[in-house]
Amino acid sequence: MKYFGSGRSGAFDWFFQRISGIVLLVTLFLHFYVMHFAIDGPITYEKVMVRLASPGWKALDIVFLVFAIYHAINGFKLIIDDYVHSTVLRAVIVGLLWVVGISFLVIGIMTIVNLKVQS
Amino acid sequence: MKVFQPQKRYRLHPGYIAWILHRVTGILLGLYLFLHIWVIHYLAQGEQAFNEVMGVVQSPLFLILEVGLLGTVVYHGVNGLRVILVDYGNMAKRDIFRKAVYVTFALCAAIIIAGGIPMLMHAFSH
Repeated sequence: MKYFGSGRSGAFDWFFQRISGIVLLVTLFLHFYVMHFAIDGPITYEKVMVRLASPGWKALDIVFLVFAIYHAINGFKLIIDDYVHSTVLRAVIVGLLWVVGISFLVIGIMTIVNLKVQS
Repeated sequence: MKVFQPQKRYRLHPGYIAWILHRVTGILLGLYLFLHIWVIHYLAQGEQAFNEVMGVVQSPLFLILEVGLLGTVVYHGVNGLRVILVDYGNMAKRDIFRKAVYVTFALCAAIIIAGGIPMLMHAFSH
């Protein structure tokens, strides 16, 4: 139960929240530029697929996804640290965060990997 | 476990408001991220399924809501940089701290107005 309680220092969570935040600022700006300036008009399947045909973009999108989910889940955990002090309740909520995080990570990676690209 | 309660309640000073907004925008962005991953997962279901769902999320209502997303992202990003500068830079200094918060608010407002006006014009031109 130690892992879910307040026995850990949490220093890594704190530090990596800043590192992933800076990474996200860069990748999010790129994401925003690509989706709203490089593409003209409404976003359609065809326009998105042109970019996602390249393995480099797929890899970058997966990195972006991993950092975004890490930052979000860790952010929720930092909020739990502030308000939830019962060890059992913490274990339940932090466990739930792991399940949600990994589920959406799988959904996201499967989406990028399973694309039927016509080349 | 013993929990130490604060002796005093914080007054609503600028740094506290910045912290509340950071927490609220963080929760909203976390929820948005999961919604976003779910919407984009239709990309793997083929052209028709994806274009259908993108038609919904690019309707005028969602384009207006997107201005809110812009504001949420911009605030969380700019204030996040300020927090890093509080930790590692000199923005924790008493005479700089408050000014940095006001600069953060002003910068965010400028970016949101500069980005939001063209977005709204685009949404209403549909």
